[in-house]
Amino acid sequence: MTVLSSRLDQRRQAVAFGFVTPTLLVITLILVYPILQSILLSFGDSSIDGSEPWHFVGLKHYAELMADQRFWNALGVTLTFTGLSIPLELIFGVALALLMNEHFRGKGLARLAVLFPWALPTALNTLMWRWMYNTDYGLFNAVALQTGLAHRPIDWLGDATLAMLSMVVVSVWKTSSFMALIILAGLQSIPKELYEAGRMDGMTKWQEFRQITLPLLRGPILVALIVRSMDALRTFELPFNLTDGGPVTATESLSLYAYKVIFDFIEFNYGAAIVVAQFLVIFAMSLLYIFTLRNKD
Amino acid sequence: MKTRPRIGLYALVVLSVVISFLPIVWLILTSLKTTAGIYAWPPQYWPTPITLANYIKIITDSPELLLYVLNSFIVGVGCTALTLSIGGLAGYALARLNMRRAALLMVVILAVSMFPPVSLLPSLFQNFLNLGLLNTYTGLIIAHTGLFLPFTVWMLASYFSTLPAEIEEAARMDGMGLMRIFLTIVIPLSWPGFVATGLIVFIFSWNEFPLALVLMTQNAMRTAPVGISLYPGEYAFPWETISTATVIAIVPILVLTAIFQKQIVGGLTAGSGK
Amino acid sequence: MTVVQLERIGKSYGSHTAVREFDLTIQDGEFLVLLGPSGCGKSTTLRMIAGLESITTGTLRIGDAVMNEVEPKDRGVAMVFQNYALYPHKTVFDNMAMALKLQKVPAAEIQERVGRTADMLGLTEYLGRKPAALSGGQRQRVAIGRAIVRTPKVFLFDEPLSNLDAKLRVKMRMELQELHDRLGVTSVYVTHDQIEAMTLADRIVIMNNGVVAQVGSPREVYDHPADEFVAGFIGSPAMNFIDFRRDDTGAWASVDGGLRLAALPFATGGRSELRLGIRPEHVVVSAAPAEGDFTALVRLDELLGADALLALEIGGTRLMARVGGTNHPRAGDRVGISIPAALLHAFDPATGRALERLTTGG
Repeated sequence: MTVLSSRLDQRRQAVAFGFVTPTLLVITLILVYPILQSILLSFGDSSIDGSEPWHFVGLKHYAELMADQRFWNALGVTLTFTGLSIPLELIFGVALALLMNEHFRGKGLARLAVLFPWALPTALNTLMWRWMYNTDYGLFNAVALQTGLAHRPIDWLGDATLAMLSMVVVSVWKTSSFMALIILAGLQSIPKELYEAGRMDGMTKWQEFRQITLPLLRGPILVALIVRSMDALRTFELPFNLTDGGPVTATESLSLYAYKVIFDFIEFNYGAAIVVAQFLVIFAMSLLYIFTLRNKD
Repeated sequence: MKTRPRIGLYALVVLSVVISFLPIVWLILTSLKTTAGIYAWPPQYWPTPITLANYIKIITDSPELLLYVLNSFIVGVGCTALTLSIGGLAGYALARLNMRRAALLMVVILAVSMFPPVSLLPSLFQNFLNLGLLNTYTGLIIAHTGLFLPFTVWMLASYFSTLPAEIEEAARMDGMGLMRIFLTIVIPLSWPGFVATGLIVFIFSWNEFPLALVLMTQNAMRTAPVGISLYPGEYAFPWETISTATVIAIVPILVLTAIFQKQIVGGLTAGSGK
Repeated sequence: MTVVQLERIGKSYGSHTAVREFDLTIQDGEFLVLLGPSGCGKSTTLRMIAGLESITTGTLRIGDAVMNEVEPKDRGVAMVFQNYALYPHKTVFDNMAMALKLQKVPAAEIQERVGRTADMLGLTEYLGRKPAALSGGQRQRVAIGRAIVRTPKVFLFDEPLSNLDAKLRVKMRMELQELHDRLGVTSVYVTHDQIEAMTLADRIVIMNNGVVAQVGSPREVYDHPADEFVAGFIGSPAMNFIDFRRDDTGAWASVDGGLRLAALPFATGGRSELRLGIRPEHVVVSAAPAEGDFTALVRLDELLGADALLALEIGGTRLMARVGGTNHPRAGDRVGISIPAALLHAFDPATGRALERLTTGG
């Protein structure tokens, strides 16, 4: 609002604006404009090659969405997957972080080991697990059958409930380390004096954890939860590579369903409506987190 | 008194390490087995005999799997270079040049990074088709750059703001322009930040799936995660080839992560403490 | 001839005003020190002269030219920063030569000028080193050398010594003094350290809350502080302030009791309350109370070395006194004190302004 009276400042502002421009251009081209275009597509009908120009159809696609059993199923799958994997990741993340905060020999190597699952492509991680889940030749069934835990091969990915749980396991395996890293950084920023003061006050280990560690970790934990929830709500290559959404649609996430509608059924406008709805879910979720975060402070 | 908790501690550490490594190790073992060994009953836990046949077969029979890795490499390097150069400039302007509404811009940049990639697909596919950018390195490099720029700008901006401002002011008194200050003073002083950010962006790009899947539709242009995932097509999965190709595709990331563990961990956790 | 003129210069960030109506002419060759607590606007003023901050209101002239819109490099000023601000990845030579290189000065001349300056500062053998391989004092010398090499019309110093340890600070302070005597360049020096200010300055500008509180020679600001802030800021330990009230007889008594003065050499202007100031070093303490002395109880004594500090109590009034360190009174002793009227200061309790001293015949 303030008018810059000094040309000295104006020159700097001009250069600063020049520095930001390429980034704003690319972000607009790749993120902002496509989102707006998706919203536009969802309110109209058109064809990809332009033979049928876009025309407004109002809420038609959203009305279809409301009546679409498969959409509600995908939403349910996505929420179930998120609701199951995030708490587990949090528990394992905190546990791993506490473990990595201890002093022991070979710590560097151990930290590297838990970092690997995060660093590798989800798509390929999923393939590794799919190979272990394999009914006939997979590691899990081999061990289960040979040890007598099971008498016939378990169809890990063929049963609706098992497939969902299998998917959650892969996700928890991959991302607990990310959770742990963020929480570990938080742990290491807690001043040692607090624990020393706690010991002077006669706290037990558990009281230290409850009274000092957990309250001071709230910030990092919330950050990790927000980042991970957004990831989980848009999960795509995990079901794509593990089950292709199956059996039937038991593990079909919103992203996967949208992808199929757009690129398998070539329904760009309807697909756009799905992704806009998904975007709203993610937006609502982040608002919820921010709201809880504000309330607690 | 002291040893018992230590044993428990080591047991937990070993357990975590085993669980983390299990799928990777099993995959590597699979890739070293003969085809018969892979599908044998009773199952072969240790490859007997150990063979490199699968690796040789990929070079001779399915060179496209190596091409995927090369594509990933080209896109990853291109995306990292582009992201660091334009994101570095933007981060510098936002962190240091008292830009008006810098705080608002930072929040907007963070907000747009929350868009789910799949929601970009219908529009990006159409636009890239019209612009002739489908199945080009340029296209995917720009797409990945857009996707990872918000992260880069935030990382680098927070790194720049840890540098003492006086050195840049001294440079200004000495007569340097802003671009020169950025190139000859700021970049040499903040290379650890650039290294950490660059490594993470490279890993992000290497691992990215939905955009790489949709924007590279020709087999020869696919990146490693997509190419390997789509490799078998209709029928049964040829696990001997898949496991071997996967090992080849993850080795670069494993090596990078192992060498630059400190930088990557430092970079990932930098922004979360606030 | 480089006169620096600041005409009613002001700086505001939005609604916050950092510096208000700074009005001063700095004479050619003068060493001017800006002194004040942190956040008083002294650094902002310096940075406006340097061009690192834009000037919101007012006019800045260096020599005859208006400099408000001129880039820092074109103002003919050089600056020495608190944290040295050396380029860590460049050698001492390159650090010192940077400005000249950017001005496209011929290489031979750069070599000559840097060499001469390094020689003057005793840096010749370090020219090939990086700053990390130097001690704090050497780094500060490089920072000064970098400024000298440019042969600026004005030197600007932003708390250049506050990162050095106490011993080195004294040494560098003296070097700066010699340097200024030799080069005779107009200098503006920002510090929060009053000893630096007193020893280096031709004139001191004391700032508080973005406003100039007083401008004067070190002697003037010490002897005749313009207000209570300056009086309390200059001098260590700080001046004693005691509230007095006029009683029925017309004499002045300390509000907390114990002190009573029949007449004050100030233009009290009918006030019934005022605040008197006396520096600890001006309180006269005698082990045996003489005629007319107040009797005080020594509550604490602190030996500083050459001197000792006494915390005294007279009735309900507390007072610090500075006495010689040999055989000084101890805690629990009763001593006599007197307060020389000529060394008293008086302030209006509401505005803090110093009251005018009455010129008596003597």
